Amino acid sequence: MAAGGERIPGTPRYRHHQLRNPGTEPFLPNFLLKEWIVGAVFLLAFILWVWFNPVDLGPRANPDDTSFIPVPDWYFLFLYQILKYYPGQYIVFGTVLVPLVATLLLLFTPWLDVSKTRHPYKRPLATGAMVLTTFLVIWLTNEAAVQHRAEVAAASGQGQLSAGLVSLPKIPASQIHLTATDMPGYQIFEQNCSGCHGKSAEGGFGPPIYAIGKYWDENKLKSFITQGSPPKMPPKGGLSSESDVEKVAQWLAQQKGS
Amino acid sequence: MLKKAYDWIDERLNVTPLWRDVADHEVPAHVNPAVKMSAFVYCFGGLTFLVITTQILSGMFLAMYYTPDINNAWYSVKYIDDQVLLGQVVRGMHFWGASLVIVMMFLHMLRVFFTGAYKAPRELNWVVGVLIFFVVLAFGFTGYLLPWDQKAYWATAVGSQIAGSIPWIGPYIQTLLLGSHTVGALTLTRFFAIHVFFLPAALLVLLALHFIMIRAQHIAGPL
Repeated sequence: MAAGGERIPGTPRYRHHQLRNPGTEPFLPNFLLKEWIVGAVFLLAFILWVWFNPVDLGPRANPDDTSFIPVPDWYFLFLYQILKYYPGQYIVFGTVLVPLVATLLLLFTPWLDVSKTRHPYKRPLATGAMVLTTFLVIWLTNEAAVQHRAEVAAASGQGQLSAGLVSLPKIPASQIHLTATDMPGYQIFEQNCSGCHGKSAEGGFGPPIYAIGKYWDENKLKSFITQGSPPKMPPKGGLSSESDVEKVAQWLAQQKGS
Repeated sequence: MLKKAYDWIDERLNVTPLWRDVADHEVPAHVNPAVKMSAFVYCFGGLTFLVITTQILSGMFLAMYYTPDINNAWYSVKYIDDQVLLGQVVRGMHFWGASLVIVMMFLHMLRVFFTGAYKAPRELNWVVGVLIFFVVLAFGFTGYLLPWDQKAYWATAVGSQIAGSIPWIGPYIQTLLLGSHTVGALTLTRFFAIHVFFLPAALLVLLALHFIMIRAQHIAGPL
């Protein structure tokens, strides 16, 4: 064996006297093994999350489709939200001044909080400022997410024609990514609906419905399919059973297109 | 056999002191969750590093299939999702891992802040940590465009417009970001290069500084 046995407790060569301070332990292998266990549990939880939350790929980028409501990834939402409070000529506060001041405060924290004491209760100004900032960032993030959802819901009205139908832009089938294709509704769609709506729901004789779930929920879809849209679409869309309609509606509700 | 090989290398390169320094340094009791459960807050930094490691690994595998040009980028991501063995899982790791790095790093920062660990003599390590934070945010911004789907495209379009609205230097920043006047082919190759070459280089240097400083200054004592 290569060198190392003298640091493993319980082995004959373990040399306890090397530990100068009681309570401490060597980094390798003692502490690292414990960290390893924490890391393993953490990774397992991570992999389980990844496994059961597959990532959606939205429709291919289309610079001509200006109806898409843009939103940054969630960890930029707080910055995005700040912009909304400085409209018009004051936008520079949101784009430059507020982020710049926050960045400088964060970067120079050690020179702003110069007292020797470290306990958070003994330096209420620093602690209070950080607690407040944390809550503010969380609140701004949530506010931006709520407002974005409302915007998307409101815009679903713009995507509608006079008869209350949704009109999605025509895009090539190869640029559509249908999700949740393991649901039973997908098979029913393939067998019964794709004749008119296209294999990828890109539209044909019937309109494109590849992202219908973005505008209509399951109940709306179910009632629409049950009713049909004569003369082109028969009631129940030609399906025989109520439960098939339900399954298709469930699957279509997942097709949010992004 | 193994020992002989080790001794042969050690005689020539004297590697023992190098790993001995890392292995033998004593970890104080107040950061050891095995001693006191509440010390788990001291794990956040290490866990951030663990997630960064998985990001590097999953990213390397994604780069085997990803194509950074506007005609094929989206199809290559779709191919990873639908055709590549475990492709969806690896992409899922990279996607969710990006968010997890941010979360763990934020928790780590809060721990360092509330325990006052940034105080003298550790000011510089705090500054390096904040720089790592910004590099990670830049990873997020550039990586978000790469799948080249609608939300990626429009998020970048708006992001660059915001940068372009900055007085005086805005248009220059926008051109520097996009490589052009609009989000397009040059933007995608640029973001890809930044995401897989520039930022990893910066991150590895900063992480090395971060860890070397911890070894040189030790972990801050108990409160």
